[in-house]
Amino acid sequence: MKFKLKMLIVGLALTTSGAFAGNGTTAEHIEAATAAYKQVAKDTSYQWTTTVRTIKAARKALEAGDDKAARKLAHQAMDLVEATRLQAKIEGETWQMRVPK
Amino acid sequence: MKKIIGSALAGTLGLSIAFGISAGPVEDQIAFQKYYENRFPDTPTEDFANGVYSILPAAREQWEAIEEFPPYELAIEAGEEFYNKPFANGKSLADCFGADGAVRNQYPKWDSERGMVVTMELAINECLTANGEKPLKYKKGKITEVTAFMSFNSRGQKVDVKIPSDDPRALAAYENGKEHFYTKRGQLNFACADCHLLTAGNLYRADTTSPGFGHGTHWPVFRSKWQSMGTLHRRFGGCHKNIRANPYKAQGEEYRNLEYFVTYMSNGLEFNGPAARK
Repeated sequence: MKFKLKMLIVGLALTTSGAFAGNGTTAEHIEAATAAYKQVAKDTSYQWTTTVRTIKAARKALEAGDDKAARKLAHQAMDLVEATRLQAKIEGETWQMRVPK
Repeated sequence: MKKIIGSALAGTLGLSIAFGISAGPVEDQIAFQKYYENRFPDTPTEDFANGVYSILPAAREQWEAIEEFPPYELAIEAGEEFYNKPFANGKSLADCFGADGAVRNQYPKWDSERGMVVTMELAINECLTANGEKPLKYKKGKITEVTAFMSFNSRGQKVDVKIPSDDPRALAAYENGKEHFYTKRGQLNFACADCHLLTAGNLYRADTTSPGFGHGTHWPVFRSKWQSMGTLHRRFGGCHKNIRANPYKAQGEEYRNLEYFVTYMSNGLEFNGPAARK
C-alpha cells in the first residue's frame, strides 16, 4: 500500500512537472489546468472550490497583464487538480475503514 | 501537497485500528447507533433526534427557550395555506398527500418502478408538476414552508426507511450514500463522518459538531446562521462548501442517496421537524 502510494506520488510529480516543462503560453497553461480540472471532475466527481477560484484568479491576472502571477496560479491550480485526483484514489481504497463495525 | 497526503494516510491508518469493513444495512445501522450510544452514554437514545442539543446541556437550555416561540411557526402557517390552495385544475397537494400531509415517515423511499430514491421534497414537486403547476426551488423558500407544515403534522412518527431486499438497485443507492458519508472530500479533506461520527461533539472553532445519529429527523430547519428556513440538501451543500468541495445539486442523485443512508441510520427515532438550529 505504502509503496503503491509512493509510486503514485512520484508519478504525479513527474507528470505535473513534465506538463509544465514546455514553453507554452500562460493562456495555454491556464487552459491545461481547466481541462485537467474538468477531467478529474468527470472521472471522480471530486471537485474543489479552491481549484475553481485559483483558475479564475489566473485568468484575471492574465487579463491584467501580470503574466508571471497568472502562470504561477495556473501551476497552483494544476497542483490542486492532482491533489484532488490523489484524494479520490486514496478515498476509493480506504473509506470503508471509517465505518463502525 | 505532502502534508495533505501525510494527513490523509495518518488518519486512515489511525482509523483502521478502531474501525473495519462492515456488512449490510442492518448491521451498519446497529453498529452506527451503538457507536453514538457508547460515545454519549448520558444521552437517551430517543434524544439524538434533537441533534447537537442532545449532547450539549448549556446550548440545550437556549434552544428550549427558542422553541417556546419557534422561528419556524410562520413557515408552518404559510405552508398550510399553500398546501390547501387549489391548483389551476382544482386539485391541491392534499390530493397527493392526504388532508393533513402527515406522510413524513414515508420518505425518503425507494421507488422500484423508476429505480431511484424519492424524497419528500421531490414528491411534492412531482405532485405540483403532474397537476400543471410550477415546481418549487429545493433549498429554501416555499418548499420549506410546505415541508414544515407536513413535518409538523408528522411529528411523533417513527423513522422507518426501508431498503427492499428484492431490488439490488436500492442497496446500491444505499451503498452510494454510505460511501459518500464516509469519504473525505474537498481541499480540507473531511468526510461527513469525520465531523459527525468520529469527532462528533468536538469543537470546530466555536461550533460543536452534532452526532450523525438523528440527522434526518428534524427537517426543514430554521437556522440562525441563515436567518431563514432551509432543507437538508441546502445543509449538505453548506457542509461541502465548508470543506472546500463543490456542492452537488439539491435533489440530484448524490444527495438523495446520501439522505437515504443518513435517514436509514436514524431508523427508530421520531421525526420532530421542523426545528430550530444554530
